[in-house]
Amino acid sequence: MSFTLKKNGDVVVVDVEGQLIVGNRQELKQKVLDELEKGDRKFLIDFAQTGYIDSSGLGVLVSLSKKIREHGGELRLANLNDDLQTLFELTKLDTLFQIADTRERALEGF
Amino acid sequence: MSRDLELEIENAARELAERYEEINLLYTISEILGRTVSLDRAATTILREVSETVGARRAAIYTCEAGSDMLDPIASVGVPDALPSVSLSDPRNLAARAFRGRHSVVIAPEDDVTDDGFRIGAVLAVPIMWTGEAGRPELLGAVSLTNRSTGAAFSAGDVKLVAAIATQIGSAIQNARLVRESIEQQRLLQEVRLAHDLQMKLLPSGDVVAPQAEASARVVPAESVGGDFYHLFRLTPSATGVMIGDVSSHGYRAALIMALAMSAAAIHAQSTLDPAAMLHALLYSLREELSNTEMFITLFYGVVDRQNRTLQYANAGHPHVFCCRPTGEPERLGALDPPLGMSDQAPTSRTVKWTPEKDLLVLFTDGITDALNDAGQPMGERRVLDTIQRYATEPAAVIVDRVFDALSQHTGDIPPRDDLTLVVLRS
Repeated sequence: MSFTLKKNGDVVVVDVEGQLIVGNRQELKQKVLDELEKGDRKFLIDFAQTGYIDSSGLGVLVSLSKKIREHGGELRLANLNDDLQTLFELTKLDTLFQIADTRERALEGF
Repeated sequence: MSRDLELEIENAARELAERYEEINLLYTISEILGRTVSLDRAATTILREVSETVGARRAAIYTCEAGSDMLDPIASVGVPDALPSVSLSDPRNLAARAFRGRHSVVIAPEDDVTDDGFRIGAVLAVPIMWTGEAGRPELLGAVSLTNRSTGAAFSAGDVKLVAAIATQIGSAIQNARLVRESIEQQRLLQEVRLAHDLQMKLLPSGDVVAPQAEASARVVPAESVGGDFYHLFRLTPSATGVMIGDVSSHGYRAALIMALAMSAAAIHAQSTLDPAAMLHALLYSLREELSNTEMFITLFYGVVDRQNRTLQYANAGHPHVFCCRPTGEPERLGALDPPLGMSDQAPTSRTVKWTPEKDLLVLFTDGITDALNDAGQPMGERRVLDTIQRYATEPAAVIVDRVFDALSQHTGDIPPRDDLTLVVLRS
């Protein structure tokens, strides 16, 4: 399980490898908040390599989204697999995030 | 017999007597340590015995708690007042010096040493160490002896003897610490059990909605205290309220939110029959707590009215609620809003048709659907629903049993990684 942060123009792209769960959510949160502190405002979390997100992982996404919005920025999500897509739809979390099928689409017009 | 031989025999006899005394002392100490777990009491007795054997009229045993930078006296002999604690870095205290240097400090009566006033003539200070399984000696304290009745310096034999006794005292200190930790652990375990019992007692029995509804529920927390809950309310002679919630965490913090949600829900449910209004009031009650803890709750609240033949519900992010009818596929009563704590918008509600005595309201948490077998595959929603449909005409309690049977078959010996909750209601 690891998080890789890369810059694509002015967007910070975060790759989540494996799972986003109670055991590693704080690490993701800290990494994103560090970038926010440095001045970045556009964030994209790419779940192409993510199998599972537990409820505390979802909580961190919402909390990050709120914090980024408070700083005038935006958090987008991309590449949710079918299970994750269903989870977001069933819990109505899809109404809280801008979710794209691919990284490219997410980056369009960011 | 020559004079030399006589002297030699005399010396040998004296040495034998000394050895006897030393061995006797070691036996006595073993016996003292063997029959008591009170370290302070044992330390005082041991110190008295060892002082007598080496002829010291003033002595003290100090211990150092893990993480502390002080030596605390636990026993003393021949001092008029209680000894104060000593800083480990105190340059004048000879026990602290032995502790710092991890080595015995031997001061002869004629040596010119500045000390803190404890010394009278010769001094012997020995560190107390304990060597555990890891093999690395751990410093636990020091023993200090002075004011010898003979006025002579401490011999190498005295140093060896006191060092041997210090080792025994070290074992005793370590044992006492282990006993204390074990008692502390037992106390914690007891508290966790109490919290678990308390949490389970908050959950109502299905009987609270009888006879207008037949309900059965089960919660199995993954940890001793969990974040899943349900609630049942008898609202009017024909309307029954059913709630299921899953706090986004486990342990004490989640249990606290769960308890808050349950008590607030009990108050708000009695003031309105509109599920959306009830969730909105609940959100208002919990907003601050949820925002402070970064937790959220997936929460469904439905009101089944058998007279109006309706089921009205509000659903903040709870994925697994179904209306199972005698024919056709179970209807998912999906989330209408995001989980409580994720958004400030007022929850909405929806109404579906309800056939009294025939329809089943089935609510569960993702602990059940996500439970893994030994191949790492989740149980899945389909299998839960199939089991419910197969036993749909059975009493609610039987349906709950069958689902948990299927769950056990699926998971085998693998312990649950999330709380498991299922509620079945017929009305």
